Amino acid sequence: MRAVWAITANTFREAIRDRILYLFVSFAVVMVVGTKFFGMLTVGDEAKIVKDIGLASMQFFSMLIAVMMSMILISREVDNRTVFNILAKPVRRWHFILGKYLGLVAIVAANLLLITVVLMLMVLIVAGELDLMLLFAGAMTVLEMAVLAAFATLFAVLTRPILGSLMTLAVFLVGHMSADLWLLTHQLPGVLTRAVIAVVYYLLPNLERFNFRTEVVHDLPIPAAAVGWAVIYAFAFVGVVLFLANIRFRGKDLK
Amino acid sequence: MKRTLASLSVIAVLLSVVVLSEVRLGKIPREDPLGRELLYLPSPEMLKIVSLGNPGLAADVLYLWSIQYYSYFKPHERFLYLETIYNLITDLDPLYSDAYRIGALIMQIQTGGDQEELEQAVRRLFDKGLRNLPDDWELAEAAAWDFFMRFSDRETALYFAEIAAQRPEAPARIKRMVGVWRDNENAWTLDDSIKYWRRAVDDAEDVWDRAMCMNQLYDAVVARDRQVLEPLLQAFVVRYGFCPSSWDDLIRAGALRQVPPDVFGDPYGIGTDQCSLVAYKKFKDQ
Repeated sequence: MRAVWAITANTFREAIRDRILYLFVSFAVVMVVGTKFFGMLTVGDEAKIVKDIGLASMQFFSMLIAVMMSMILISREVDNRTVFNILAKPVRRWHFILGKYLGLVAIVAANLLLITVVLMLMVLIVAGELDLMLLFAGAMTVLEMAVLAAFATLFAVLTRPILGSLMTLAVFLVGHMSADLWLLTHQLPGVLTRAVIAVVYYLLPNLERFNFRTEVVHDLPIPAAAVGWAVIYAFAFVGVVLFLANIRFRGKDLK
Repeated sequence: MKRTLASLSVIAVLLSVVVLSEVRLGKIPREDPLGRELLYLPSPEMLKIVSLGNPGLAADVLYLWSIQYYSYFKPHERFLYLETIYNLITDLDPLYSDAYRIGALIMQIQTGGDQEELEQAVRRLFDKGLRNLPDDWELAEAAAWDFFMRFSDRETALYFAEIAAQRPEAPARIKRMVGVWRDNENAWTLDDSIKYWRRAVDDAEDVWDRAMCMNQLYDAVVARDRQVLEPLLQAFVVRYGFCPSSWDDLIRAGALRQVPPDVFGDPYGIGTDQCSLVAYKKFKDQ
């Protein structure tokens, strides 16, 4: 496991040196700070607008960071041939995949923490309340991004960076619409059609399972079971996708 | 150096053309586009999907847009698609309390169009809000006042005030408001009013609340006693040809067994001008 942690730490260090990361983080912070101006346009509860826009920005920019960084980090190692230096050491290929993945999740989590703190400060300025539930929303977004990062890692070893980015983006879009796919199964005729759609639904991640933004914004109770199962769901999905990535990477000719 | 200057001059000229054309374009009168773009509004289901898990944000964007958009209308104009827009906003975020409140407020600004239909639209929006926000007494109170002040519809105002009073977090003043409105509208019997205000006096939260409840109780008891005592005074006048100077005259005539007291136990007076009951309201308990 020391090899995995070494790759994780190295990936994290490498990522925080990347300018593209600062670009996304700056955009996210500007967006969150800018919510104050959107709030000024409203009549009524300014804090709701600040939280809504802030949480959506948090999700959107984290998604961009996860998609872009995963593509850059893995393809760069392969293209620059530095992957050979790593694999020449007592490092297995699955160590490399897992280390890269954990490094990516760490960088996304660190950025999300930064954006969440900025959002909490904005809410404190606008509403005069320290809303700790925003941290919870941030943590659930980390879970969502962990699932997305796993897919990004899989696509990074499957295909070229640009195509991989597009495919990860597609997973993000479909992941937020898969609940509607499930609803579709109730309306379609034919058992076979419904069964096929149900299988597709279970194979795709339902990213709405990590979405507690409405509850956080409106101060609604959050069922502990929903959070617990969402954590289990995320870990299981990440496990499956990373296994697939490892299988592909193990058989991949890197020359 | 010359080339740089020439380039800068070209840029400056082009920029001035940009500014000039923008100014000229702004001055060209165009057909009023209000309402036209709304024909392409998507359904709430579609917007929910497109928002990628952020229906609250979609609701905010529409809400902010609607505030700006409807500020272009004049009160005598018909505010196009207003109910549709606020239904869309509140379908996207059913807990958006401000949207119900401000949507209804914008509807009420309209002085043109069918006012009865407008009142129904305001009621539908408030009813939807109260269904989706079962603990929100402020929205119900706002609805009550809106119907009272804007539409002078006291029946609907009382309906919303009663909903506000039943909400768990509603302060005592809302409950008192309902009592006062019921008294004013004769929406209950005097006995029910007296019962209600006696309980309210016992449950009063502070000295002002108690004084207000006492005032209402006093008036309700006087109204009930007036219904009993004034016919007796009139019967006395018919029988003896003059108004009694005190209640003792009625006791002697066998019409009363004792002097009727008010809420505080003090006797009522008799106004000899119209031969009617006179109540001396004063607050001994303060």
